Amino acid sequence: MESVFGLVGKDFAIVVADSSAVHSILVHKTNEDKIMVLDSHKLMGASGETGDRAQFTEYVQKNVALYQFRNGIPLTTAATANFTRGELATALRKNPYMVNIILAGYDKDVGPSLYFIDYIASLHKVDKAAFGYGSYFALSMMDRHYRRDMSVEEAIELVDKCIREIRSRLVVAPPNFLIKIVDKDGAREYGWRESIKDAPVAAA
Amino acid sequence: MMKIDFSGLDPYMPVKGNAEDLDDEILAAPSFKLPVTVDFDGFQKAAVQMVKPAKGTTTLAFIFKDGVMVAADSRASMGGYISSQSVKKIIEINPYMLGTMAGGAADCQFWHRNLGIKCRLHELANKRRISVAGASKLLANILYSYRGMGLSVGTMIAGWDENGPGLYYVDSEGGRLKGTRFSVGSGSPYAYGVLDSGYRFDLSVEEAAELARRAIYHATFRDGASGGVASVYHVGPSGWKKLSGDDVGELHYSYYPVEPTAVEQEMADVPIA
Amino acid sequence: MSIFEYNGSALVAMVGKNCFAIASDRRLGVQLQTIATDFQKIYRIHHKLFIGLAGLATDAQTLYQRLVFRHKLYHLREERDMKPETFASLVSAVLYEKRFGPYFCQPVIAGLGDDDKPFICTMDSIGAKELAKDFVVAGTASESLYGACESMFKPDMEAEELFETISQALISSVDRDCLSGWGGHVYLVTPTEVTERILKGRMD
Repeated sequence: MESVFGLVGKDFAIVVADSSAVHSILVHKTNEDKIMVLDSHKLMGASGETGDRAQFTEYVQKNVALYQFRNGIPLTTAATANFTRGELATALRKNPYMVNIILAGYDKDVGPSLYFIDYIASLHKVDKAAFGYGSYFALSMMDRHYRRDMSVEEAIELVDKCIREIRSRLVVAPPNFLIKIVDKDGAREYGWRESIKDAPVAAA
Repeated sequence: MMKIDFSGLDPYMPVKGNAEDLDDEILAAPSFKLPVTVDFDGFQKAAVQMVKPAKGTTTLAFIFKDGVMVAADSRASMGGYISSQSVKKIIEINPYMLGTMAGGAADCQFWHRNLGIKCRLHELANKRRISVAGASKLLANILYSYRGMGLSVGTMIAGWDENGPGLYYVDSEGGRLKGTRFSVGSGSPYAYGVLDSGYRFDLSVEEAAELARRAIYHATFRDGASGGVASVYHVGPSGWKKLSGDDVGELHYSYYPVEPTAVEQEMADVPIA
Repeated sequence: MSIFEYNGSALVAMVGKNCFAIASDRRLGVQLQTIATDFQKIYRIHHKLFIGLAGLATDAQTLYQRLVFRHKLYHLREERDMKPETFASLVSAVLYEKRFGPYFCQPVIAGLGDDDKPFICTMDSIGAKELAKDFVVAGTASESLYGACESMFKPDMEAEELFETISQALISSVDRDCLSGWGGHVYLVTPTEVTERILKGRMD
């Protein structure tokens, strides 16, 4: 089942998500990217219903871009988090998006930050967050080994610990995970943790 | 009144000595009157809801080079209400064997006590202690005979016998698993997270106790239904010994001393970059 | 499980001699899973007026944002702060607007009036005001809080004694509740100053 988690390190933030697209008992693909790069310095890891996730993350991404076009300055991570919450909260009483979001970003004067936003639009700034069944294992693992001043290497080691734990303890563990990182140099893919290979798809 | 037929559970080994001298009530498998009702399942469902405290729990046990480490929290809750912070979830079956308690408190207490009696009788009849495998099987057989009747038990039987350390997981669904590392209860996924990353077979007793304590602590932190005291027991060749019982409330601040800081940001003015 | 118990909360306000105190726990949870232990539930409207929001965290955040907005409009038009009584009526009106799709929140309002007379009140989720002279409670630990406050409260306490009383009442109450606790947050308001204190509590 879906597992998304993230943490803040010394001068970066990491978001990890599984990459399985599942429908009832069927696994459609195992290399689905669930971490949207919102802009040059923001990552949005999302879990939830496939359609809602794709629609909503793209909606946020485009609005963040629109803001930047109009005003010539990018939205801060905090502002993006509050915008995202606002949209989710408005939708909540109409037709809710079933998406849980971990928003990571890097701002020049604030440094890295991570926001927890669940599908009912509770927003909170955190050091470490997790959604889905994997959260039970990832959260205690991060509680035990996390430090605020972790280096990238240490953080990735912790992430690998979490992935290993999810793979070994979760019945419906997803085979592959994607790790993305954001720091002063921008948001980018860090790496994959694959236990099965899916046929590569040409970029859409 | 109907009665369940327990003849299949009678001791398979003939008791030495004069069996008649022993009180029938102790020897016979306990039997319970069943309610006379048309809708037995419906009655069960309603009744079970009334007698089901102690749902949230974290218990764990693992085998390592010097024996078995057993640990548990001590909270009992009914819905959101904490009905006790000092429940004994590690039950001392005999000096060489421990049982842990998750699920229905009464079910666990009663059947562990019952198991204790059976183990003692086995010892008297055979002049040797029962193996952990045997004891856990006695319990599993009883629970299996009540399957579907609403018992709620998730337990680990840990002990030391002629074959060294033993650890079994037994539940009211009738399952019985042999293993080296288990955690049971609502907080168990959290406990596994800590346990799995810190476990090695060649842990010393002190290291193993700390790992068990830490796993319970982290589970109580994240799981609202677990808390109270983290008790740690060790079972070695000479029987079990309680190593510690730390109040989690104090444990937290010993692991993470408070560093005085200013009050954090209000949600309203999240730092605007 | 009730939607009011989804995130978990404990709130209490007490009146002393020319002063009041308002306190909350610090947990943000999703049912039994603890997400964060630094969650703010008491918000400051102006320097002598506070509102605590128990219940569903997302609605608490939405409601708070709307109340701040309304208070700012009031401030622009009237060039003064709201009286606590007025603010309570505003909250009540805002809540009743959503009579058929309520905010799942139970507010606790505490403030000092013009003549420094303490005012406390609570409401249900659709705005039925409930004024009190001594103390008000809300949240998942409200039953325990009633018991604690009922036995510990004395009329006309001085500020320091009031702080001690409200803190003890809060801490002992949340220790009987699975869904709230993980530390406490107390505001003590006298005509001359506002003191904010973080309480250490059991973290289980």
